[in-house]
Amino acid sequence: MLKLENLSIRVGEGETAKSILTGLSLDVPRGEVHAIMGPNGAGKSTLSYILTGKEGYEVDTGQALYEGEDLLALNPEQRAAKGLFLSFQYPIEIPGVPVMTFVRTAMNAQRKARGEEDISAPNFIKKAREIAAMLNISADMLKRPLNVGFSGGEKKRLEIFQMLMLEPKFIILDETDSGLDIDALKTVAAGINALRSPERGMLVITHYQRLLDYIVPDKVHILADGKIVKTGPARLAQDLEDKGYEGVLGLAS
Amino acid sequence: MTETKTAMTQTLNRAEDILFKRYQALASDPARARAFESFKASGLPHRRMENWRWSDFKARLDTLFARSDSHTTAQADPFETLDGIICLRFKNGVLAELPDLPEGIDILQKRGGYAFANCEDIPLGALTAALVPATYLIEVTQSYAQPIKLVFEGEGAAAFARIDCVIRPDIELSLIETYRGGAKFNASLTSFNLNQGAKLSRYMIQPATQDQAHAITSEIHLDAQSRYEQTSLAFGGHLARIETRGTHHGPESEMLLKAAYLAGPGHHIDHTSHIRHGAPHCITRQRTKGAVLNKGTGVFQGKFHVPRVVGQKTDADMQHNALLLEEGAIVNAKPELEIYADDVACAHGNTCGALDEAALFYMRQRGIPDLQARAMLTEAFISEIFDTDGQAHSALATLREAAKAWLAQLSQ
Repeated sequence: MLKLENLSIRVGEGETAKSILTGLSLDVPRGEVHAIMGPNGAGKSTLSYILTGKEGYEVDTGQALYEGEDLLALNPEQRAAKGLFLSFQYPIEIPGVPVMTFVRTAMNAQRKARGEEDISAPNFIKKAREIAAMLNISADMLKRPLNVGFSGGEKKRLEIFQMLMLEPKFIILDETDSGLDIDALKTVAAGINALRSPERGMLVITHYQRLLDYIVPDKVHILADGKIVKTGPARLAQDLEDKGYEGVLGLAS
Repeated sequence: MTETKTAMTQTLNRAEDILFKRYQALASDPARARAFESFKASGLPHRRMENWRWSDFKARLDTLFARSDSHTTAQADPFETLDGIICLRFKNGVLAELPDLPEGIDILQKRGGYAFANCEDIPLGALTAALVPATYLIEVTQSYAQPIKLVFEGEGAAAFARIDCVIRPDIELSLIETYRGGAKFNASLTSFNLNQGAKLSRYMIQPATQDQAHAITSEIHLDAQSRYEQTSLAFGGHLARIETRGTHHGPESEMLLKAAYLAGPGHHIDHTSHIRHGAPHCITRQRTKGAVLNKGTGVFQGKFHVPRVVGQKTDADMQHNALLLEEGAIVNAKPELEIYADDVACAHGNTCGALDEAALFYMRQRGIPDLQARAMLTEAFISEIFDTDGQAHSALATLREAAKAWLAQLSQ
């Protein structure tokens, strides 16, 4: 579903240019959940930005295919309309735009891009209420400006709320567990698992194995120095937890 | 040097020549003559005058008057949708028709000149006072729950309108004002005298008029415990200036100035204000927000003056924030605090910048197209000016919708 082939990316020009990815290859088939783990500065968050179309990255080599289509040729909103969703590590505050307005605008923009009708107001509200109840999000929170004054945990829950509302086809979760207490983590994981299906793919970016106790991946990849250095089953995450990156990567070399 | 200067003021450009001729055609009286002498001392204000360096009426009116291709039609009135309110229409400064007024609101038409004390400080106010066909003296002696609408429109080369309004003690009034333009140069001068405990709210809109110039000048006098609130939305024109001069004369008076401006290509909008804190324990809150496109210009000049003895315990705050939406947008800002009193709380803030790229990317990742995301962020930024604290408010809602409609064009 998502296929990265020998992808090399840099930021900046000339002498200040810096390589971020150096020949990264990754294949996430439809219906699978893959985890990406790696030490700080390995390029995990950057990978999520590159896949979703943030500006400022130059492709040196390789390609990224999403359902067989050249992903990097599309702008961020086109990628979103095709079902790509990123749960941000640090969700952005948008003053003056209430959550409900924001999500409805996004949903209808995606529908328009796909040639579909707008969602009706009653259907939208019904859906929003059901999902908010599932994630313990109060009606008051949905009326407030997006993420403004929300706690770290609230912001993360709201990312999952948006995800469940938009029903994307391919989901990238960037450090979704950070800032969550155990109860919130369980709620969020239940939300994510609700979207697991044979039709969807997921890429779970995380520092720790904790989230993977709840969202068990089909594969775990270790990203270091801009490429995948090791791939293994879900158990690899536990090995990392026990031995650390040095231990596991040391064994590999 | 002095000779050169005198010679220059005596050399009239085309615009000044038209204005001088218009004055000469009017029946002279002492009030007109005095106002015109004041205006004549400087002529049309120009960029070498400190308060006018970013809004050169002399040069800009000259090019405007030289053009024969300009379409000077009055713009639609966004407040037209508000039903059932009393409307005073001023065409070329003359009240077209006197509607039935509620008890406690009286209007007197004063033909000819009417004294304007602030001539020396406000050249375009002096010009207006010299050239208006009539001044409308409004006295409000009973509170009126509904707003009253004022519509200004003109035709031809220049139109001048003047209103002088007194609000008696503890009386409340609200006004809705549309500056529709229609003449090449549209000037208005409104004076408001708020007696002790009086309250006035004004909601003003100046629709976009690329081929026209506007000078919307207000002076406000506040007695003790009075409260003045002004909320405006302006789109500018070939040249447009909204100038507000306020004086706190009595203690504990309050002034709230909220302005939003949206300037498209070829539009210039200037907000200039001067507030004198001439009595202790007075409050001024000023909030101005603007967004400007390529080839558009925004100007903000704000001054709080706090004299040494009478200005003690002044509480004043001035904020101006502008968004430069595109390369080539221009914003000039000069916030000034001139404080001589030592026991005051005065603050000012001024920012000019672009939209937050991180927020734009976040919105686009959710599927909102770039232009629509920009319009949404700009609307959110601007609409703070029209905040109603969750209360229904038809005038503020109209201003908000007008801003939204302008921004919606951007995402087409």
